[in-house]
Amino acid sequence: MVEFATPTILPAPLRPADEVMQLERLGSLPASRLSFVRSLVRQMARQRWQISRTRFDLNAQGHGIAIYRLQTPQGRYHGVIFSQHLEDDQRSDRVIAQAWDVTFGVVEGDVDDALLEQMAANVPLQEAGRQHPRLLVLSRANRSLRNFAHFVAALSTGRQPDPAGLTRVGYLYRTTAVYGNGKFGIADFVRLQDNPDFHRPFSAQMLAVYLLRHFSIEQVEHIARCQAPESAVPMATELRRYLGIGNSTGLGMAPFLINHPQLIQQWVLCRETALALALGQAPDEESRRRLIELTRRAMHHLAQTVTEDAEQGARNAATVAALPEVIAWLEEVPLEADLWQQLVAWSARTLPLEAQELVNTLLIELYPERVDALEDRMGTDERLELTPDMPLVRLKQLIETHDDWALAEDFTQPEARHWFWYRSAEKEEPRLGVRGVEPGAEKELPLAIAPRVSRTHAALSDFLDAHPRALVVEFLIAHPRHKDIVRRIQTMAETPYGEIRANLWHRDMKPMHLLRTKLAFFGASRFDPKSDRWVRITLFQGAPLVEELNAEPRDLADFDDWSFPLEPEGIMHERDQGVGDTP
Amino acid sequence: MKASYNELQGLCRKAFIGMGFEEGDAADAADMVAWMQCFGLGGLAALNRGLDFLLDDDPDELPSVLYQDGDLAVVDGHGQSVLRSSTLALELGFAKARARGLSVTKIRHCHNRQLIMGYLARLAGRGMNVTAFWRNAQQPLTEQVVGFRANGSAPEIRVYAVHEIPEENEPNDGITLVMANHVDLLPAMRSDYRYDLLARHDEADLLACRHRSLAEGIEVDEAVWERLKQLANRMLVEATEASREGAGAGTNDND
Repeated sequence: MVEFATPTILPAPLRPADEVMQLERLGSLPASRLSFVRSLVRQMARQRWQISRTRFDLNAQGHGIAIYRLQTPQGRYHGVIFSQHLEDDQRSDRVIAQAWDVTFGVVEGDVDDALLEQMAANVPLQEAGRQHPRLLVLSRANRSLRNFAHFVAALSTGRQPDPAGLTRVGYLYRTTAVYGNGKFGIADFVRLQDNPDFHRPFSAQMLAVYLLRHFSIEQVEHIARCQAPESAVPMATELRRYLGIGNSTGLGMAPFLINHPQLIQQWVLCRETALALALGQAPDEESRRRLIELTRRAMHHLAQTVTEDAEQGARNAATVAALPEVIAWLEEVPLEADLWQQLVAWSARTLPLEAQELVNTLLIELYPERVDALEDRMGTDERLELTPDMPLVRLKQLIETHDDWALAEDFTQPEARHWFWYRSAEKEEPRLGVRGVEPGAEKELPLAIAPRVSRTHAALSDFLDAHPRALVVEFLIAHPRHKDIVRRIQTMAETPYGEIRANLWHRDMKPMHLLRTKLAFFGASRFDPKSDRWVRITLFQGAPLVEELNAEPRDLADFDDWSFPLEPEGIMHERDQGVGDTP
Repeated sequence: MKASYNELQGLCRKAFIGMGFEEGDAADAADMVAWMQCFGLGGLAALNRGLDFLLDDDPDELPSVLYQDGDLAVVDGHGQSVLRSSTLALELGFAKARARGLSVTKIRHCHNRQLIMGYLARLAGRGMNVTAFWRNAQQPLTEQVVGFRANGSAPEIRVYAVHEIPEENEPNDGITLVMANHVDLLPAMRSDYRYDLLARHDEADLLACRHRSLAEGIEVDEAVWERLKQLANRMLVEATEASREGAGAGTNDND
């Protein structure tokens, strides 16, 4: 008789910040089930949110106004979309653009005539308008012309569009900014902190994007119907699901990651806690089978991800090449209690970074009942505070313990002080310039934390030599310009994550990693860098549709299972057979 | 026009940086202005009144400690705005109160004193009871007391004219601060001496005002707003063709 011992497994510790907060690793993160699009969709389904169309005044070209109502158990909101003709030469992803194919906002409460009039006069102007304080989100988007034309042409002639178009570019519309938190007069985020629907970071923005996705489906079908009322067909459900919304992001996203260290700490902590919880589980055959299935899906998804960027293409290819090894490993290794910890240890030794983080993401996916509660911990009250009565020698120790990564850099080397960050007079767009070559270094944004920490460490070390018993406040009264960085160091020393461990001045620093870090937490897929500081991604591709949400799904786990979507097969073939053919 | 809190704070911060404030001072000063404006206490007007002085302040003339012992400090603000000179003096008082239970801090020679309230709110948020006292005018002699309970977000404010004017009535451009770890020192007007209450702001009224500001937006004077924008623009770098290439996406994205 075989005796089975109760599996014992040591709880997995959180990974050290020295590993997790390396910029390149952060820049390798894929979206996870804690990403904002995923948690929003779960919340909508769990709480039975309902979305209905209350106005759809579009002309044959799809221009006009559409309004969608969102009813939650707690409140009512409206997505208001203005669609207009745009000349091709005005279609730009840059923040310096001045007109867009669609502009839209999410309003708290009802939209009466006066509010609609105010919005019609201001929302299309975006940054140049004065927006209403009941607007929670302000955004705009441009068409992907090729996809749009193909979809209209196919649907109007009774055919389904080729899904390969959505594999190349996963959307009909691409947003170029999604503003929240008080920008241009809209509501402050602090107003949402007690709002049960949108208190999580960026959840209102993600809802705005989700509504735009629904609009894009309805609009393209409408245009096709107007063009050919007799022959037009609606889009196939699989194709609708495969349709996301694009986003084009440049350096503008980078300052956020540096200016909100407490929020970044919270996001990374939640993800790392989720991973540690997953690693603390003893697998069974069912969870092993599920992990293999998810790995296969992610592998196919990445194999179908198109990018012209050579570096990202190579990273995708390396991950796709590595994943069969993961599957083979999972199939061959005996089912021991600490299998997941073995897997992660093996993966850290043998797999490329993106594949490592993908495996971690898939492990998190296995245990919704354990990790999903973390989605309510992604927000935090942000405030960096001074501890003036701290002995200065203690601050020195904190820097040497927590910020050794910053002290390790030699800022006298030209490559270590290559870039400077600044805001351009053109719509305050953040840009990078080469120090000593391009003008503006004297107006540098203080985004590079490492050189600031290093300078402060040197100054306080000198001060300590003369005043060994000094308090932090006494040092600051003598050297007040260090106040900002000192309170950041003191506040962040209480947390493991938050500071991205990179010298943002360094010649080899890749801004793309910063952008991807934030986008991964949003829930982006299909990373398609267009340069080292500009990337296009897709949101909500594969997500459940509005009509599926409105049907109040019973199986919430199935509803939530939409990560790493794959190109639907057989749609054109089936539909082509169905159009005009009599069996 | 209406602005959001975040927008007001952000613009002020950029404007202060444009005026030559260090990053930390700019953030604190912006918080102080936005805090007052949000509570309906005229932060922008107070800033506007002191703006020309502020632009003339020498940023390198640092506040200096004239005297200090374990629980008392006297700081010279060198005639600068509290936006520039007060935060570290307040932190010094905070450190002493933490160590000794109660501290008294005197900041001499400073202007724009109303604006200090926003930083007092921050200290209160860190669990400190804070009371500030200053004299506004000599004829009639008016005094202002602002008291925050530890962890309270809104103060009790009293402004009053005193009837009996002391012989020594020199202009007083200082602030006296009392901080206490455990007891609150809110202004309860129970004096036997005669006074006329000129203004009274209670915690509840101020919190209601803040709630309205966040729901309906904060009314701001367009001229002041424009002036702040111009100051903020000082930190922007003129665009060049090279800088446009360094920014990201193309200028035409038809695809």
